[in-house]
Amino acid sequence: MNQMTDLTGNQSHPMLRVSDLGHRVNLETDTLTILQGVNLEINRGESVAIVGRSGSGKTTLLGLLAGLDTPSEGVVELDGAQISKLSEDERARLRASRVGFVFQSFQLLPALSALENVMLPLELAGIEAPEKRARELLERVGLGERLGHTPRQLSGGEQQRVAIARAFASDPVILFADEPTGNLDNRTGKAVSDLLMELNREQGTTLVMVTHDEHLAARCGRQLHIEAGILTEPEAAREQAS
Amino acid sequence: MQTANKLMSVRRDLRERDVRVVLVALIIAVATVATIALFASQLQRTLVSSASSFLAADRQLEAENGRPIPAEWLDEARERGLETGRMVEFSTMISGPEGFQMASIKAVSNEYPLRGEVEIQRQSPGGERETLAAGPRPGQVWINPRLLRLLDLDIGDTLQVGERQLEVAALLVREPDGGFRLSSLAPRVMMHVDDVESTGAVQEGSRVELVYLFAGAQTALDDYYQWLEPRLEPSHEWEGVREGETFSRSFDRAERFLLLGGSLAVLLAAVAVAVASRQYALAQRDTVALLKTLGLQGQGIGRLYLRRLALWGVAGVAGGLLVALPLFWLLVGVLGDALERPVEMHFDPAALLPALLTALVSLFAFAYPPIRRLRHVPAMRVLRAQPGETGRQALPDLAIALVAVFALVWLYAGELALVGALLGGLVLLLGILALLGLALMALLRRVRGGGNAWRLAFVGLYRHRQASLAQLSVFAMTIMLAAILILVRTSLLSDWQTQLPEDAPNHFLINIGPESVEQVSSFWQEHNAPLENLYPMVRGRLTELNGEPVKEAVSKDERINALNRELNLTWMDQLPEDNEIVQGQWFSGDETEGVSVEADLAQRLGLELGDRLTFTIGSARVTEPVVSIRTVQWDSMKPNFYVAFPPDGGLRDMPATWITSFYLPGEAKGALGEFSRQFPTVSVLEIDHIIERIQEIVGQVTQAIEAILALILAAALVVMAAVVSATLRDRQREGALIRTLGGRQSLLVRSTMLEFAVLGLLAGVLGVVAAEAAVYVLQARMFDGNFRWHWQVVLPLPLISAVLLAAFGRWQLRPVLSVSPMLLLRRLE
Repeated sequence: MNQMTDLTGNQSHPMLRVSDLGHRVNLETDTLTILQGVNLEINRGESVAIVGRSGSGKTTLLGLLAGLDTPSEGVVELDGAQISKLSEDERARLRASRVGFVFQSFQLLPALSALENVMLPLELAGIEAPEKRARELLERVGLGERLGHTPRQLSGGEQQRVAIARAFASDPVILFADEPTGNLDNRTGKAVSDLLMELNREQGTTLVMVTHDEHLAARCGRQLHIEAGILTEPEAAREQAS
Repeated sequence: MQTANKLMSVRRDLRERDVRVVLVALIIAVATVATIALFASQLQRTLVSSASSFLAADRQLEAENGRPIPAEWLDEARERGLETGRMVEFSTMISGPEGFQMASIKAVSNEYPLRGEVEIQRQSPGGERETLAAGPRPGQVWINPRLLRLLDLDIGDTLQVGERQLEVAALLVREPDGGFRLSSLAPRVMMHVDDVESTGAVQEGSRVELVYLFAGAQTALDDYYQWLEPRLEPSHEWEGVREGETFSRSFDRAERFLLLGGSLAVLLAAVAVAVASRQYALAQRDTVALLKTLGLQGQGIGRLYLRRLALWGVAGVAGGLLVALPLFWLLVGVLGDALERPVEMHFDPAALLPALLTALVSLFAFAYPPIRRLRHVPAMRVLRAQPGETGRQALPDLAIALVAVFALVWLYAGELALVGALLGGLVLLLGILALLGLALMALLRRVRGGGNAWRLAFVGLYRHRQASLAQLSVFAMTIMLAAILILVRTSLLSDWQTQLPEDAPNHFLINIGPESVEQVSSFWQEHNAPLENLYPMVRGRLTELNGEPVKEAVSKDERINALNRELNLTWMDQLPEDNEIVQGQWFSGDETEGVSVEADLAQRLGLELGDRLTFTIGSARVTEPVVSIRTVQWDSMKPNFYVAFPPDGGLRDMPATWITSFYLPGEAKGALGEFSRQFPTVSVLEIDHIIERIQEIVGQVTQAIEAILALILAAALVVMAAVVSATLRDRQREGALIRTLGGRQSLLVRSTMLEFAVLGLLAGVLGVVAAEAAVYVLQARMFDGNFRWHWQVVLPLPLISAVLLAAFGRWQLRPVLSVSPMLLLRRLE
């Protein structure tokens, strides 16, 4: 018993509110619908997993939610700001101050050391004493001894831990994670997801995670399913959320 | 922003291969252009000072009428900071213990020579030579060694010059201003100008030439000439190095070659910078997407990369100069070695400007456009690869680059013909490339893969067709530029060498009476120095053009030397080998009418076929129509004539003397003394020292050209390496995959090397064809040479480029072969 694409939460101050979101891509001959009729509300402090098969549209949805892309139709409101109406620069500013990211392929800048990679968003957000904060975070993720190493000198798990430290560095109100353990072996993946969940709890951040890993999804407070561009929420989960 | 800014520390940038390539390209561009500009300025100075020594000054003012110039002219010159000096030249009889001899006297002031040095021997022949920048002291003379024998003199003896006795203090081996002047045909005696009056040899009406010497800064000389020009009389002649017919062509060509070399260096560097920065921009898209995701705004990204470019510029210029300065120092040393004398290093800071400009334009016209577009990279790229750039987006870049490069070359070389030739060559090249590319791909499509290295190579070419075509274009362009340079250098050098072969005539015999022609000829036949071309010579003045006095017929602005002095006229039945008819017909066998005129003179006088020229020869007048116009090799060291008549033509009844030039090896010079005794009336003009100097100059220029050629070829190699390494990652990944899938190493190596060899061969052929086209234009317009095909020179080029590229291909594979495929694949992730 799933309720179709209307997943409105019930808290008065949702962190993320999505209404009638749709996304299409124009191909040479016709139009490909990637997402349609997505309605969603995510509350402050919630952790939500979006689960779906490859090609189901989950990465597109994540990009739209995080304001990396603009939808063909519908509204995305992030912490009260209608991001689909903001200019690209305004969205960048919003991301700098309120949004954190963790990616499947880590996305660390190869030319920067671990410490510098973590300092980068702090400086972009204009936070004072970025180095102190970055050191603390790297120590927190267990890389206090590896501050000066560049990504190439770190293992995959270590790189993802740097990425997690970077994601939490600027105290984001919401964290988007795209298959955070997708490139890691089971054990390392487990350690990384433990760390992610832990930090998320400590910082009280809202977490939106895209994954096809059922175990990881199960650790989130809410699971949403996406298939062929349509978002559904299993009733049990919805009840639990409400 | 500090960390974001740290992204652009040069040290950190250096970790990225593309940045290294951009920087190396920049460094090479700056280094090449700076070295060439510095060296060109040095070379010019050295050459001009070497050549100035042909005048013993930077400029000479000759007063042929023998009257001193007003004193205020010299005062004016000194006020303008010029050095001045004075010479008096005349012919007179001198006598020693053993009779009399006509001598040509050069009396010089204390300042002589302002440029160059005099070479003398203070002991008898065979003693040590000495060079000094001074003439003899009052009361002393330096004499031509031949006079020792002719007059049975010894060093320390006295010599009678007119009414005055002067001490023979040294033998005059070489004077810096050993030019041709009629007065200098007899053996030289150099004395001090203060002694002239006491000799009594210069009387009212004597034939005397006063020569004033000037030396100083170029601008001061130019300004002074501007002041002087309106005051000059027809008998005055202002002579600079550049007007000297013998050397100006060598200078022009050397300068043009340097300019061409510089322009090609600029082009090559531009190509390298453009290729590498595009690669860099493509590789930076992920970083930009991430920075955007992390909240950096478009403007911030623009600023970030602009600052980065500026940093590269600073690093490139600094690095380039660090390379250029020692190189320049080295080249100056080479120059000194070539000249066998120390060369004063002349560092001209203004010569660095073109290098700075090159760096600036390279960065902003070639590196910036692809980097500028980075700000439009969508942030979404962090989550999912976005479609890459289309070729259409890169089109404006190409337009900007083309305009910039030609503006730069134009600015640098200031030579429209050069820009045109390069542009033409490039357009032709691109046209052929487009056609060839299409045809090639249609052909390659049919090749199916297989275990054969050839097939794999062709499949490789087809599979990477976009990259292959791009690489083909760049390689062909690089080879074209290198080939142009090699071709121009080759023809330049061979032209020079044919101009002045080892056995170029180095002695002139003048004033051979008609009755002695046979005897003179057999004298030298016996001494194994046969005379080849003996020409009769009649001295006459060109006085009328189509019945009108020639000075009125010709525009006043044209100061034509040939009109100010008597011309050497001749008759001949055969056109000299090195002359060439450009208009009209050479005389037929029994022609009695007409004259053949030298092309430059004809042009300056505005002569056309059929114009009637009147010559005054002694008291006679001869009028003849122009029947042909011919070019003359003035620097051939053979007798050359502005005007030639047919053997039975207008000169047939005129009294003539004969002139010839011939080659006399140094060890046979002893025969000259005997010759002078047997034929006292024949003048011997020894120009072997002049020839030596010319060969020295040609040697200098050659060395410079070779050094610069080497530099530019190095630049070409870097461009090739840059382009090959642009696809390094893809190739390595592919190589690793092939190995993972079980391909043998040897197959991989062979197919890759073949693929690159085919690419190199094609690029070589295309480049050579385009180069021939460009050289065709360049030779005709810039180096006034006749175009010849140069297959023997260029044929090896495609082969060399094939081998070179195959080697590059092999080098690319190195990590693929030395590391396990798995490790490599992981590393390339």
